Amino acid sequence: MSDCDQFREMYEAYALGALDPPEHAALEAHLATGCAECAKAVAEARWLVSQLAYLAPEASASDMLKGRLMQTARSEAKSKSSSSVATAPRKTSSGIPYWLSAGIAALLLLTLYFAWDAQHLKEELRASNERNQLDEQIVANTQDERVATQQKLAAMEEQMAKMHRETAILTDPSSVKIMLAAQKIRAPQMVAMWHAKYGIVLTGQKVPMPSGNRVLQLWLIPKAPGGKPMPAMTVRPDANGNFVVLVSNPPAAGSDTKALAVTEEPAGGSAEPTTTPKWVGTMS
Amino acid sequence: MFLAAFSPKDDREASPDAVLVRLLLQNDVAAFEKLYDKYFRIVYSLVLRIVQQSGPAEEVVQEVFLQLWRNSAQYDAARGPFVPWLLTLARNRALDTLRLKSERQRRLENQSDELFSVAVAPEYEKELDEKRRAERVRSLVGELNPQQRRAIELAYFQGLSHSEIAAELKEPLGTVKSWIRNGLIRLKEGLHTAS
Repeated sequence: MSDCDQFREMYEAYALGALDPPEHAALEAHLATGCAECAKAVAEARWLVSQLAYLAPEASASDMLKGRLMQTARSEAKSKSSSSVATAPRKTSSGIPYWLSAGIAALLLLTLYFAWDAQHLKEELRASNERNQLDEQIVANTQDERVATQQKLAAMEEQMAKMHRETAILTDPSSVKIMLAAQKIRAPQMVAMWHAKYGIVLTGQKVPMPSGNRVLQLWLIPKAPGGKPMPAMTVRPDANGNFVVLVSNPPAAGSDTKALAVTEEPAGGSAEPTTTPKWVGTMS
Repeated sequence: MFLAAFSPKDDREASPDAVLVRLLLQNDVAAFEKLYDKYFRIVYSLVLRIVQQSGPAEEVVQEVFLQLWRNSAQYDAARGPFVPWLLTLARNRALDTLRLKSERQRRLENQSDELFSVAVAPEYEKELDEKRRAERVRSLVGELNPQQRRAIELAYFQGLSHSEIAAELKEPLGTVKSWIRNGLIRLKEGLHTAS
């Protein structure tokens, strides 16, 4: 039996990522020897596996996604083409207002709570697995329960990851602080913290509630002359007018952005601003 | 058009996709927009099927296309067609967001190098009409027995390993391995027959 024979039944599963670690490591080691026959078979298996994408039901993303991507691309293309323009120095945040510190503390507490809750859910999942083994007659019910618990756990872990990121942005000394002053309305200023790696956290307190179903939408105003505002996240404050919103993938880099603005927009947000900004903060 | 995502003509030396990707190196936004318009539906459909929620799905799709825009040099047309590369990138990013199990996470991280590896379309693939191919894939997978189909879907859309699928379906490990391999071989043979 040649070395390759023992791997012939693994090509498809390898391409699928379904091999268990020992088999995966064995085939990886074999491929690392430069075996052309197995490399060719694995390459064909990868193509075959990619065809499984056809099985996904057709769906369409929002127009806002394309708007964000194209504006990012245009902004970065302009930035790269004008390499003589020096990158504006970023002001490092120094000190966090007391109310923001309270927000961070709340985030940390929530993180702890979610960590506890996630552990609780994991235990619930384990118990559900054990129940499955004990009583075959209720397999269908317990499977539903397991799926529901897994989904809840996934959502919980996603929420935890989001909170960790928000906390990192708010506490990291390299984050840049931008104060957004209210424009022609009586309202407290908003505060944005922008971290080059983790994104933007925008916070507001006692913010007037947008009318009807309308939302507040954050915009990034490019430095490039004539650059259009780039849409970011939308949010509705809670009953007390407070909110914390995370933009994990800003559509532009901080060095390419002149200012942040917040407008009131229809539910779901807009691809371009439809009202004048109610809050504006310039990057310093 | 959704099915346009799968261009059947994989002339790797001068495929339209390869030309567009090369233009990204010159910061050609129009080329980026063409690639987005051509493939965002299939990428979004795949990612949404994996992550199940539209918000996180859009974030993943944004990351995928920004990676394409910022790191287009990572795609080497000489090593394989563009679409499998893009779909592999999208699938791995989407599975990454699930983060249900540390083991899966570790395995995916180990596979990160594979992302830029070769994916070769077989000869018959070049001659198969793209719409027929899409219908054929769905039809062929639809002909598998439900458990076999479920095993393949758990592996592809949830990133589960053989052992995890065996535990999920309460079937012997060997059975699950056979289901997946035989199912994919039937798919390959079916696509060959259809060409």
